[in-house]
Amino acid sequence: MSLLKPFSKLPGLNTANILLVESEEQFQQSLADGLVEETAVTVNVRLAKSLPLPKENEESRPRIDLVVFIINLTSELSFQSAEASLKYLDPGYFLGKVCFMVTNARNASVPTERLDAVRKLAAALHCPLLFAEDQTPDGVTNATKRLLSILKVSAGLVPMATALYLSSLTSCTVPPDIDQPSFD
Amino acid sequence: MDLSDGVGNLHLMVEAAALNPAADSSNAQKDIPPADMLRMNQQMSNQCFEMAVQLQAGKSKRSCSTSQADRDLPDYVKELERVKTPNFNSTLILHRMQMWHAIGETLKRNDSEAVALKAGNDLCMALCSQIKLVQQESKVLQDEITEVQKKRLEMKRLIHENMKEMEDLKSKKEHGDTEKYKAALEKGQGNLEKYRKMSVMTQNVLRGIILACKINWMDDPKLRDIVMTLEDLPFSD
Repeated sequence: MSLLKPFSKLPGLNTANILLVESEEQFQQSLADGLVEETAVTVNVRLAKSLPLPKENEESRPRIDLVVFIINLTSELSFQSAEASLKYLDPGYFLGKVCFMVTNARNASVPTERLDAVRKLAAALHCPLLFAEDQTPDGVTNATKRLLSILKVSAGLVPMATALYLSSLTSCTVPPDIDQPSFD
Repeated sequence: MDLSDGVGNLHLMVEAAALNPAADSSNAQKDIPPADMLRMNQQMSNQCFEMAVQLQAGKSKRSCSTSQADRDLPDYVKELERVKTPNFNSTLILHRMQMWHAIGETLKRNDSEAVALKAGNDLCMALCSQIKLVQQESKVLQDEITEVQKKRLEMKRLIHENMKEMEDLKSKKEHGDTEKYKAALEKGQGNLEKYRKMSVMTQNVLRGIILACKINWMDDPKLRDIVMTLEDLPFSD
């Protein structure tokens, strides 16, 4: 069983490790470039196309503090790949160490059911859902900043806040009328 | 259970590592400032806390459905908020007290830092009194502005009233004139009618007399003039 476990390794001193999972492997690169520019903490960024992670790196891989699933709303494959990868995460991760990031939400060709499905998934797992704009450098910077703030809490670098506490504040909620048709 | 054992082991290892930072090979060479070490210590204690929570969750397992858990969750979160807020406030107060104590101690020690602190303090006091003076001045000016504005408003109101009065008077005067004029006009017209009727009647009578007398009025110039003027007014109304 190749579950990714949150507490199976020692945490790093003054480091934060983040895993970006994206089936297109595009946005994660620019996010990674932005994330490593943080100077106060050593940020290690691991990129993956999907889970389970390859067994060869099992020993050298550090303990992952935050797993981010990047879903591109314009492709159904992205969503399905993310959903399939969720099975390979230990349940201990869902107490605040998983985050969903969605791109292209403003695109007109996106069917509303897909966004609703992502919302329902994030709400069922009590995870935060972030919306990011990946085409402009400003959008990438903003997404990086938000990820960094969540990552710092997950890695224990923020005093008086743990990942579980933050997730109870930031988890996605589904509006009660989500199944009713919207005005289009 | 494998998970809780593993986590428990790790917990002990992390605590040992946190208590003994010199044993950490990666940081042995660098000279870490104490603030950074405190930060890293806090990070490690945070991680230990998380692992302790995980262990706790593993110990007390009871089976209940997800819907039940979802229903209970907001209550627990509210309880957590209720406890966390006064805790946070107390921590802030504690930090403030610690800071003031530290400042007090530095001032008592009377070294270069204390001198710098005192200079800073004096600057703050001077700026504060300046601020107070400027604020008072601005208050006085503001009051004056308010007075001037009140007077302006009063003036505007008076002007408005006067304009209205003038408008009223103007319209009334024309109206009053027309009325008196009308009365006089009617009276005059009545008189005119009366006299006109009288003169028509007189003329008709004179015409009748001249015709009845069968005088040849064309030869006599004076009579001719009189008869010519008789034709000015219509015969009968």
